Amino acid sequence: MSVSAAHNGNVEKRSFNRTSEIGRFAAMVEKELLELLRSFKLLWVPLVFILLGIMQPVSSYFMPIILEQAGNLPEGVIANMPKPQGAEVLAQTLQQFGTLGVLVLALVCMGVVSGERNSGAASLILVKPISLYSYIGSKWTAMLVLTWGSLAAGYLAAWYYTGLLIGSVPFKDIVSSLLIYGLWLTLLVTLTVFFSTMLKSPAGAAFSSIGCIAVFSLLAGIFPKQLGWSPGALSGFAYQAVSASIMKGDYFGWAIVSALAIIAGALAAAVWLLRRSSSVE
Amino acid sequence: MTALIQVKGLTKSFGTVQAVTGIDFTIEEGHCVALLGPNGAGKTTTIRMITGLLKQTSGQMIFHGAEADGNQRQLIGYLPQSPAFYNWMTGLEYVIYAGRLCGMTAVDAKKKAKELMERVGLSHAAKRKIGGYSGGMKQRLGLAQALVHSPKLLVMDEPVSALDPLGRREVLGLLRELKQETTVLFSTHVLHDAEELCDDVIIIRDGGIALQGAISSIREEHRKPIIELQLEEDDQSQRWLSSYIAQMQAAMQRNAESSLIMEAVLNDNIARFTVKEIEAARQSLLEDLTRERVKVRRLEVGYTSLEDLFMKVVTA
Amino acid sequence: MNINNSIDLSQMLSIVLPLIIIQLILMVIALVLCAKAEQTRGPKWMWILIILFGNMFGSIAFFIFGRRNEG
Repeated sequence: MSVSAAHNGNVEKRSFNRTSEIGRFAAMVEKELLELLRSFKLLWVPLVFILLGIMQPVSSYFMPIILEQAGNLPEGVIANMPKPQGAEVLAQTLQQFGTLGVLVLALVCMGVVSGERNSGAASLILVKPISLYSYIGSKWTAMLVLTWGSLAAGYLAAWYYTGLLIGSVPFKDIVSSLLIYGLWLTLLVTLTVFFSTMLKSPAGAAFSSIGCIAVFSLLAGIFPKQLGWSPGALSGFAYQAVSASIMKGDYFGWAIVSALAIIAGALAAAVWLLRRSSSVE
Repeated sequence: MTALIQVKGLTKSFGTVQAVTGIDFTIEEGHCVALLGPNGAGKTTTIRMITGLLKQTSGQMIFHGAEADGNQRQLIGYLPQSPAFYNWMTGLEYVIYAGRLCGMTAVDAKKKAKELMERVGLSHAAKRKIGGYSGGMKQRLGLAQALVHSPKLLVMDEPVSALDPLGRREVLGLLRELKQETTVLFSTHVLHDAEELCDDVIIIRDGGIALQGAISSIREEHRKPIIELQLEEDDQSQRWLSSYIAQMQAAMQRNAESSLIMEAVLNDNIARFTVKEIEAARQSLLEDLTRERVKVRRLEVGYTSLEDLFMKVVTA
Repeated sequence: MNINNSIDLSQMLSIVLPLIIIQLILMVIALVLCAKAEQTRGPKWMWILIILFGNMFGSIAFFIFGRRNEG
């Protein structure tokens, strides 16, 4: 607190170059990623996905032995059991991601906005000359990095193990199913960000977004004809994409469009909610 | 002197409750202004509206002659009552981040952040996690992050009320330096803090402005002579004192104009008379005291303090 | 053909080993974070037991629910 420092710390002159909104957005994304890194989320979430990804092919591989050890089956049953196809195992892996993976992602993202607002940290950030789109967008972007990174790591591990133990699956099927499933998880994460803005309670946000996702896929499962175009059908399309017996009808394109529309809508609604409650801008 | 910010008819209601009821004031560039009032008077609400964190129900805020549209955030540095940061960041990282959010490049922000951390006396803790900072350190970090973009106006909500005496002295010392360089608006419920730092004061009460102006002129205008009288605690003296006060109050009610005494209050056996003309009142009181042979312990002649005025304004 | 004969113990181990290693990494990270945390939700020894005996789920539960004051 020296006097000379007082004069150097010129509060009057604007001595710095201004960066654009993009620069501020980049700074915010950087902060979010740093937070994910320091809280070890960027490490443990991919590890959990890798674990889930490896477990499916390994347990399929050992299933006959495990059954035999149990020993209650008559001779010959195991030998005659159909061996699972590699594609089948990968589709089962995606289903694992759809339950445990969804749960983990929703719980990891549940406090992304409400946590900062509840602690009061958000008010120090929101008085800065930033756009609310950048604020929500940066959190969303960081969560997508986590989601896509974890999904890709887990799915590629599953693919490698499946190729090793069960049977190879063409890489292009992996890529297409990964992209479709990634969109499905993106929808989940976006809804979690939205509910985290709307609700004070993180648990409420996780519950609501998982509920939405469950309802989407339930409806698409019950009414495949009427609601085949809805985002709930996406996970089904991803299973089909890897099973190679794809029946990508006209609906497939519409499912993607409707998912993208809901994602965009949820983000816009999150910004609107934040503006209404904090009234910045 | 030019006006940095003009506030006109600023109102905020939450449901049916009016927290701020149409206040007007102007902050001149370079001034240090205190928003003074008891808890719940609407200080925080007013401050949050000025920073743009809260949308006013009605009224205008004009910054540099232009209506506030959210861009005022570039001009304002804000320090809330108990600032919350990201506990996983270091102090220096946070100030750099704040600078980048204000549009500084990473290099500029880093340079300025180091400067400010030094200035607020946190350079030794710059690389420690904020989670381990004390209340006073957090407040000083809050100052550093509020100043990082060289704001025109530094806005603070109760900057020292949550601190222990030591932290309080540190922050007040900093503010004394800062007000030389930038315009400052802060809220407080402690008159002493306002008196110590500020040029102007805005006293608010129940969401409205009770009194505003330069502290020196308020002190001058509202200064009134008073006589304080304390007697021995025997029954006779005390009885005389209460009857004397009753008599004075009756005289005031009969004829407020000609009465020497404007106000008489008895508090803890000390009588306080606010008087119009000190000489005449003193003379009259002394005569009465001698005639009645009252045992005086203490008789003091002085002037009302700002504290008296403040108490009167906020409790009226 | 008989699957049973085609698998011996060392082969089995090489398949399962990565699973065990990843679980161990998760467990170690969780234990280190738990030890370093100033405040956990609920007693620390309880979380250590959960992490040690709860497999993958114990560690995940700690990562998500175990820590306070993250923000």
